[in-house]
Amino acid sequence: MLVKLKVNGELRQADVPPETTLLKMLREDLGLTGAKLGCDVGDCGTCTVIVDGDSLNSCLMLAAKANGREITTIEGLATSADLHPLQKSFEELGALQCGFCGPGMLMSAKNLLDKNPEPSVHEIKDALSGNLCRCTGYTKIIEAIQDAGRELSGAAAGN
Amino acid sequence: MRPFDYVAPASAQEAVALLAEHGDHAKVLAGGTDLIVDLKHHAGNVSLLVDVTEIPEFLGIEETDEGLRIGSAAKYGEIMEHALCREYTPEIVAASHTVGAVQTRNLGTIGGNLVTCVPSADSAPSLLVLDADVTVAGTDGNRRMPLTDFFVGPRKTSLAPHELLVDIRIPKANLGKPSHFLKFGLRKGQALALVNAAAALWLDDKGAITEPRIALGAVAPKPVRCPKAEAVIAGKQPSDELLKEAAEMAVTECKPIDDFRASANYRRQLVRTMTYRCLKRSVEIASQR
Ligand SMILES: Cc1cc2nc3c(=O)[nH]c(=O)nc-3n(C[C@H](O)[C@H](O)[C@H](O)COP(=O)(O)OP(=O)(O)OC[C@H]3O[C@@H](n4cnc5c(N)ncnc54)[C@H](O)[C@@H]3O)c2cc1C
Ligand code: FES
Ligand code: FES
Repeated sequence: MLVKLKVNGELRQADVPPETTLLKMLREDLGLTGAKLGCDVGDCGTCTVIVDGDSLNSCLMLAAKANGREITTIEGLATSADLHPLQKSFEELGALQCGFCGPGMLMSAKNLLDKNPEPSVHEIKDALSGNLCRCTGYTKIIEAIQDAGRELSGAAAGN
Repeated sequence: MRPFDYVAPASAQEAVALLAEHGDHAKVLAGGTDLIVDLKHHAGNVSLLVDVTEIPEFLGIEETDEGLRIGSAAKYGEIMEHALCREYTPEIVAASHTVGAVQTRNLGTIGGNLVTCVPSADSAPSLLVLDADVTVAGTDGNRRMPLTDFFVGPRKTSLAPHELLVDIRIPKANLGKPSHFLKFGLRKGQALALVNAAAALWLDDKGAITEPRIALGAVAPKPVRCPKAEAVIAGKQPSDELLKEAAEMAVTECKPIDDFRASANYRRQLVRTMTYRCLKRSVEIASQR
């Protein structure tokens, strides 16, 4: 079936079998391999993308259900000129090790900051409960998200 | 996943007709957080998914003359942010917040949770203590039934194979009823309930408990009410001893099993503590009014 969607601001389409997940379509038909395939059953969060403003597991969503919707993937965070403040903080604070959880962590973090620009540590932990990291122990990830939140809300306030 | 077809009909009648036509080979799809996982694991003989999330009567949350109507395809994320739910049914909001993680809650629907009907379904207890009804669509139109009759057993509801869950209704008299929900899992995030529990009650003008409700999950073949424990406190002045007596009675009303997550005995201890805490918190909320 023909699925048309807007990915990172660009109209894209692909003819996929109905049982194709959004993750598979992004990776195999649209060449966007940023979102990763981890558990494939909604537990690990490395496939997290944002659909119409809400983060979800792209491994559990059929591509058919994403037809006509707006998707943001990790590829949509940086511009050609600059990394997203979250990516900068993650890099500067050394928040990732192997990096496999990174695309999902960053999308969950973006989803959180979009809705709650200055989250508490508790709110960050709650927002990341569907993103497993087997390397870092999460401490630096949480610090990086707080750091980016401060930077983003500072920028919004004009300083 | 094995190949299947996908349709998203615009009306319940169309969906029911498709299910009646395709029998066992067709499955209803809402958020997919149970069904897609099942299809990946078991790959049964499914040839058609009927997506019900584009049917207008299955969507949305609204106040009606009778009370609050929650569409079966309302997502947890939507319920948590909805002004009516936050005001009238904060325990449903609290229960929704305990389901999976953010990403699960932005896909999963409350109706899907009730139809999957695992004993640990987190949306069940808080709906049971508010005397929720459900609307079911079938070949002869819609019918209503109490949620208590909807649950039949583990992964079994009273829906006929071609029937659909349309919405969930909370009676007007119970909107804002003092209530509390608790879930206990092995981790703070993304864990299924070892036990979940909810209570709701009013205090009359003399301070006596009226219309008490207690519901438990993950300790019987389906989510259950505890009528004997409710009877212990009905019409009485709340005291710590009384609430503990009710919690003790609730332990006798559940039938937990041993499994890899916890022993039956551990679950009984949880029932005692959680029932007491839910009642105590409900009384506190009621007496602040
Ligand atoms: C990572 C993860 C964590 C989870 N954590 C929890 C948790 O903490 N607590 C909990 O209770 N559950 C949990 N779940 C289970 C699941 O998310 C919930 O049960 C959810 O509410 C299911 O809703 P859905 O819309 O995704 O249902 P679907 O998967 O779309 O459907 C579920 C079942 O209901 C049927 N169905 C759906 N809608 C209708 C309808 N309107 N009429 C008739 N039949 C219908 C489907 O055919 C299917 O059999 C978790 C799942 C995942 C993947
Ligand atoms: S791959 Fe989707 S949650 Fe793990
Ligand atoms: S950095 Fe390796 S899994 Fe998170």
